[in-house]
Amino acid sequence: MTARPAPGNSRDPLLLQVWKGRTGYLMLVPTMVLLGVFMYYPAFLGLYRSLFDWAPGLDADFVGLGNFVKLFTKDKVFQQSMGNMLQLSLWYVLSTVFVSLFVAILLHRMISQRLKYLYRFLAILPVIIPGIVLLMLWKFIYDATVGPLNMLLIAIGLEEWTRAWLANPNTALYAVMLRNFPWVDGVAILILLAGLQVIPQEIIESARIDGATNWRILRSVEFPLITGQIKLLTVLTIMWGVQEFTAVFAMTQGGPINKTMVPGMWMFWNAFRINKMGYAAAIGVILFVLTLILTLINMKYITTQEY
Amino acid sequence: MAAATVTSERQFRRHDFWRALLLTVLCGLQLLPLLMAFFISFKTIPQFSRVPFLPTFPLHWENYLSAWEIVRLFLFNTVFVSGLTVVGVLALGSLAAYSFAILRYPGREFLFYLVLALMMVPATLTLIPSFVLVKNLQLLNTRWSLILPWIASGQVFAIFILRTYLQSLPGELFDAARIDGASEWQGYFMIALPMSKSMLGVAAILNILGTWNNLIWPALTISHLERQTLTPGLWSYQVENFTRYGFLMAGLLIGSIPLIVLFFFTSRWFVEGLTSGAIKV
Repeated sequence: MTARPAPGNSRDPLLLQVWKGRTGYLMLVPTMVLLGVFMYYPAFLGLYRSLFDWAPGLDADFVGLGNFVKLFTKDKVFQQSMGNMLQLSLWYVLSTVFVSLFVAILLHRMISQRLKYLYRFLAILPVIIPGIVLLMLWKFIYDATVGPLNMLLIAIGLEEWTRAWLANPNTALYAVMLRNFPWVDGVAILILLAGLQVIPQEIIESARIDGATNWRILRSVEFPLITGQIKLLTVLTIMWGVQEFTAVFAMTQGGPINKTMVPGMWMFWNAFRINKMGYAAAIGVILFVLTLILTLINMKYITTQEY
Repeated sequence: MAAATVTSERQFRRHDFWRALLLTVLCGLQLLPLLMAFFISFKTIPQFSRVPFLPTFPLHWENYLSAWEIVRLFLFNTVFVSGLTVVGVLALGSLAAYSFAILRYPGREFLFYLVLALMMVPATLTLIPSFVLVKNLQLLNTRWSLILPWIASGQVFAIFILRTYLQSLPGELFDAARIDGASEWQGYFMIALPMSKSMLGVAAILNILGTWNNLIWPALTISHLERQTLTPGLWSYQVENFTRYGFLMAGLLIGSIPLIVLFFFTSRWFVEGLTSGAIKV
């Protein structure tokens, strides 16, 4: 019996290697066709069109970096949206890291495995509820006339505090920000828990024998060993915060008077409400560059760590 | 010695009580809106104005019946679209991952990086050009406007995790089959696919969660309500029925059921998928 050599033996001439590897290429064809049409083409078109004053069906005028200049110097709404994005992202990072860390540690310290499993399930539960359902429920909670938040304020005698939380320019951004109270994030908890669980038991045991309290173990052993996970969560949350506009889209559409506008929403608005597609594409490019920078930071400093 | 263990055991149990209490409060508050939705979903409008947030009797199950009449269409559309998408993602993704991980040919690394680079391309960059593309392809208002772009974008991450997994398998597995005369296709169907069942499950769950929760893209490309998927469907349903509270809440809860059911059957994949999904950009 003659064994067939592995395809693409590296001593063969190149063309023969290519021929021997034909099945490998063939298997990539459907993937590459779809990626080319629906990913690479739109991505390059987006980069290219950001340099134009462009509305579909009309001639496109080349404006170079004009769209970007306008965004950063003249467009007050865009500048406001960047500020809002920053505030939202900062809050998302703080709430995700602190609440999730607290819950993850409570779960990790649980002695009873049955209880641990039960509470882990309860913490994950919101993740498997469609996001839109939670957004709509929170929109209801903030409602001016029937919303439970105002009802609660009336019930405890703080009637003058009631307001239309999402329609009031002073509170809208905070209402969007503070939705999902108390911000138990199942995914973040799972990531931190995974980090805590791989800490070798011997380290904890020996610290305990040396007389370390739970608090001391947390501060001197567990925290340092899960900084990788915390950094990862931080970068991922910022990245998500830069892109995210589903919540704003569903709850306020950027209003009232652009108080909850975020760059993604402003891009959507320009592209599909007032047909300034080239201008909107430029916003997309800015978000892309921000994401790229964060990805590079992530690759350089964080994901090299095994977890 | 034994006595010491018993006391510390009891101490631990007491600490568990405090942990459980704190977790109950936190998770309870987190789930409170859902409980509220559940109570309201059985109310008529007069019942709601009398006692808004606690149960009232009789329970009005008909809210669920009439909400089902509307939401079932969205549910069907989502199951269809997300289902076809996930099948496409797994088929193309596993094939490409097998090719990248197991087969050898010139340019393999370069082609893989061509795929991997797309993990850095956010959906916001491609949103507008993709819309123009789908419009020019005359796909607006068809389910293909969702399925094709979603397969294209979904397979990137599937390829990434499946390739890593296949590379972790012992190479002798595939070499031995090759020596026995198995073709590359047989290697894929007889070894790679059966071996990576649970990884395929993880990739599937992540993909379903992503398409299921997508609001913006279907809201943009599908304007016929009878073809709309669940997430934008529930959004427009809320806008139209905001004052019919019982009916509204019943619809939102019905829309939540399928993923919960899916979770109960595949919770291990869910947990793994949610953790590995975090690597996703």
